[in-house]
Amino acid sequence: MLSKRNFITYAIAFVFILLLNFLLPRMMPGDPLTAIYGDEALIAMTPQLKAQLVERFALDQPLWQQFGAYFLALFQGQLGHSYYFNASVLSVILGRLPWTLLLVGTSLVLSTMLGIILGIESGWRRGSKTDRAMLAGLMSLNGFPDFFLGMLLLIAFGVTWGIFPLAGALTPYSGLSGLALLFDVLRHLFLPVAALTLAHLAGSYLLTRNTMITVLKEPYMLTARAKGLSQRVLKYRHAGRNSMLPVVTQTGIWTGRVVTGALFVELVFAYPGVGYLTYEALLARDYPIIQGVFLMVAISVLVANFLIDLSYPKLDPRVSYAY
Amino acid sequence: MHIDLKKEIKESGPGKTGLFILLLMVAMALLAPVIAPYNPYQQSTASLLPPSLSHWLGTNHVGQDIWSRLVFGARTSLLVGFGVGILSTLLGTIFGVSAALVGGFYEKVLMRIVDAFIVIPMVIVVILISAYIRPSILTLILLLSLLSWQGGARIMRAQALSLKERGNVTAAKSFGASRFYIAWRHVVPDLGPILLVDFIYGVRRAVFMEAGLAFLGISDPTVVSWGMMMRDALSFSYLNVWQWWLVPTGVALSLTIIGLTFVGHAAEPVIEPRLRGVEIA
Amino acid sequence: MLEIKDLRVSYGQDVVLNGIDLELESGETLAIVGESGTGKTTLGLSIMRLVEGTVRGSIRFNGKDLLLLTDSEMQQIRWSQIAMAFQNANNVLNPVYTVLDQTMEPMIEHGLKSRGEARDRAAELLRYFGFPQNRFSAYPHQLSGGEQQRVLLAMALTNDPELLILDEPLSSLDAATRAGVGNLLKEIDKHCTKLVATHDLDTASKLADRMAVLYGGKIIELGPTQEVLSRPRHPYTRALIRAYPNMTMVKDLQGIKGRMTRPASGCPFHSRCTQAIDICQTKTPQLVWNEGRQIACHRGGIITLLSTRNLTKSFGSLKAVDSVNLHIEAGETLALVGQTGSGKTTLAKTIMGLHQPNEGGVYLEDAKVDNRGKDFYKRVQMVFQNPGESLSHRLSVMEAVMEPLDIQGVGTKEERENKAIQVLGEVELPQTGDFLNKYPHHLSGGEMQRVAIARALVLDPALLIADEPTAFLDASVQAKILKLLLNLQEQRGLSMLYITHDVAAARKVSDRIAVMLDGKIIEEGLSNEIIAAPKQSYTKSLLSAASALHPTEYSSIEQ
Repeated sequence: MLSKRNFITYAIAFVFILLLNFLLPRMMPGDPLTAIYGDEALIAMTPQLKAQLVERFALDQPLWQQFGAYFLALFQGQLGHSYYFNASVLSVILGRLPWTLLLVGTSLVLSTMLGIILGIESGWRRGSKTDRAMLAGLMSLNGFPDFFLGMLLLIAFGVTWGIFPLAGALTPYSGLSGLALLFDVLRHLFLPVAALTLAHLAGSYLLTRNTMITVLKEPYMLTARAKGLSQRVLKYRHAGRNSMLPVVTQTGIWTGRVVTGALFVELVFAYPGVGYLTYEALLARDYPIIQGVFLMVAISVLVANFLIDLSYPKLDPRVSYAY
Repeated sequence: MHIDLKKEIKESGPGKTGLFILLLMVAMALLAPVIAPYNPYQQSTASLLPPSLSHWLGTNHVGQDIWSRLVFGARTSLLVGFGVGILSTLLGTIFGVSAALVGGFYEKVLMRIVDAFIVIPMVIVVILISAYIRPSILTLILLLSLLSWQGGARIMRAQALSLKERGNVTAAKSFGASRFYIAWRHVVPDLGPILLVDFIYGVRRAVFMEAGLAFLGISDPTVVSWGMMMRDALSFSYLNVWQWWLVPTGVALSLTIIGLTFVGHAAEPVIEPRLRGVEIA
Repeated sequence: MLEIKDLRVSYGQDVVLNGIDLELESGETLAIVGESGTGKTTLGLSIMRLVEGTVRGSIRFNGKDLLLLTDSEMQQIRWSQIAMAFQNANNVLNPVYTVLDQTMEPMIEHGLKSRGEARDRAAELLRYFGFPQNRFSAYPHQLSGGEQQRVLLAMALTNDPELLILDEPLSSLDAATRAGVGNLLKEIDKHCTKLVATHDLDTASKLADRMAVLYGGKIIELGPTQEVLSRPRHPYTRALIRAYPNMTMVKDLQGIKGRMTRPASGCPFHSRCTQAIDICQTKTPQLVWNEGRQIACHRGGIITLLSTRNLTKSFGSLKAVDSVNLHIEAGETLALVGQTGSGKTTLAKTIMGLHQPNEGGVYLEDAKVDNRGKDFYKRVQMVFQNPGESLSHRLSVMEAVMEPLDIQGVGTKEERENKAIQVLGEVELPQTGDFLNKYPHHLSGGEMQRVAIARALVLDPALLIADEPTAFLDASVQAKILKLLLNLQEQRGLSMLYITHDVAAARKVSDRIAVMLDGKIIEEGLSNEIIAAPKQSYTKSLLSAASALHPTEYSSIEQ
């Protein structure tokens, strides 16, 4: 039985993230403004701007007041300003976010669902050649880091056979619209999604398979067989439905993995999402962006986990949380 | 309770394969100076050469011998992997067992913190920190360990809780044994198999992470790493060089991880009946 | 409509069903009775072809052999033609679907009804079994045992099966609920043939027309339920009924010696059977027809040990024993009840050969006994009323108990001594040297009677005639002696002719009662029937005059 994560846990995690974000630049040697904005940015600033920022962030004040200012700014949606992109951090991130959501969302759904189906089929045929082959195959697949898979797919389908485009989310300057636009997006999306999905398939597969093996031994499976139900109904409605439950609880954690995996995959395919943004920011040492991304991603994952935790009782009638 | 871990692994097909792969990698790492014909850092003008007798896997964009770099890269991966594995399992055991045996407020607080860390995606935190401080290998090991002991702690605590209720512990307590003594003599030894499995999966996670961080370009640049090699190879995917540059490196990395996966999977049935429903990896 | 021939089911090395032959007519209810582990559930599962092990033999349902059908053909038959209500246990219902959903499911999946129709029918069935409407959306883990049982029953009927297999349908219910649900089961469509697997004899008696007793993987008795229950013909069936607490039987409970084993050859019951002979160990008996029912026993069922035909003994013009026809079966106790002077003791003595009959004869296992030799006394022994008299004051305990062995010249002296000591242990007397050397006048009344019983047992007789064995003993001692006799019967399979004037005591130890008056047997039958519904007025007055704690008036005995 997984221990129930309650609100306090998430609160602690949230505070940790904020603190980390806050403390890191201020713990670096040297001028805090440099640490927050980075060398290059400072060169571009005027002394007045610098003074303004010092005041805004209360950099000459004691630490706890600084944190107050920081938190306040955050609350107002102020994530800082990126000098590399010459725009507010928030706007830059929001501009890239949709692509990442598309990538992560599609991959997460595909890998989880496909993993569940394969896990059900594998567990149903436990010990057979099909099962053992799938098990060995998926465990091996699991060993390939997502960026390696991405690179292999890119080289195979992009470079060598030229079926799919090599980079980006859209064909630039194409001026497409409607169905043609959709098709273009999908063409660009295919390989990155494939890489991410394949890399994270094994998680849901293994868990579903294991649970399936246990479920098949339960008395209610015999009852269901006695009812003369078809194989399909037995596999999915009876066994499958029960095997899915642990998968749902783990989906929150997997979301975190897929999100970080997207980071690498976007890099490989130069897919213009938040992950690629991070890479660019790392190269340019654009700390505001890095911090902004970190904050957004970390908190999104927390929220996703929280929501999934809340929805679990709806799926398993035996469970009810105190809150 | 006397489940023979060695037997479990030896009897499983994938387990044996995994063990074999791992031993191969370890051998490669240990014998690196012997089997690498070149200094992995030595640059030359002979760049992007295809495989030949003098350069088994050809050379990279700055003329370094790929085979030598591959072989030395194993050292980095395994060093970080095992380092983090040991340290995080150690921390997880210490905190998990102490939480179970001490209980009370200490346990409550500790477990809340543990749960909080489990929910946070570790990779992003490491990326953030690495962006500020370029970690050396040692720092990286420390950092990764500090962020990954939590998973094991939960499992250790669960197991320690059930172990502490057993008769031999009660007997020891009646002799006036201290909690430390009980932990050391009665609880930890029975945790053996679980410790090992936690360790194996910890190594796997760390190898993965080190490669990923190197791929992003934010790990120790003074060290040869498979991740870094793959990063360099990425820019040249348009050329044929990927065949002998990217693929062997990627395969080496993947094989190492697969090997760890197989061994871990073979060892899992040992603990599964005792810990139903708790995910380890 | 269901015909099972030589069904054998095994899981690896374990043979669960070892050759079952059964026939079911359309519309009837057959109970399969057996204790746990005998294979009742396996039998039900085999008919549904849900058994994991190896299945051999044939199961013909409406002419088709079910074991030869393909999986998909069988799948169509399941629930639509043959349905099963499983034993109520944890997790027998799928935990993630509501009660109503699961009940509706088989109708929809077999294409019999639309969703709306299925819902209505499911609701109707659930209500029929008393499952409350407001609980239809409950999940299995929220149900009580009784509620879950009702769901299982309702669910089994959804597709109107021709054959319904019920596995312990009432076991998890309390007595009051049992009656309600039991009635509902009886009322179900008469065209529905039912097979009820249960260990509970009450369920079998109320629900089933016929009953089959399962032991060691074989059916050992099969016949009309009421007849089998009142007059069991197989030693196991009789023992099972004796061990089952119920309001009908008056005799004290008795167990069965030994444990259930599944021997590789021979009759599965032979190690616990008290009338087993050599062949029982080597050859498996087949189920054959015998007087209206089927029995699997090499001896044709419980044998008649001793019988008298027209036995008459007169002293001058007085007929002390007047044309008495009695029989005593192996392993049973017949109580001979009558007042002083009715001729009971004379009858006993005539049987023992201490008097010569004027007419008629005594038959031991259907062979007429004329001259009683040592062999006869090896099989029939007697315990007399007054142990103070029947035990010689010259002989020590050891000598007295050994006496029959000495007379018959059985074994060496040492063997006889060991036998005597063993038998003293059986009657719960000390086996120490001190005790063995005691003389009767050193012993209490109870101890003396035990010595007398031990003496009677030392030749391992099949029939023990006990003539008022507790007449000279205190009540608490009497209780112990009676219990001792019951235990000896359980362990050795002793038959007993228990002679007494005390109806209340007779009631506790006897399977059958014969009432004797003026040398004649005026009424005879099963103990519980005689006690509950005596026919003769003399019997009635005997009963009302018997010791009772509540009526405060005496009643008189008519002659």
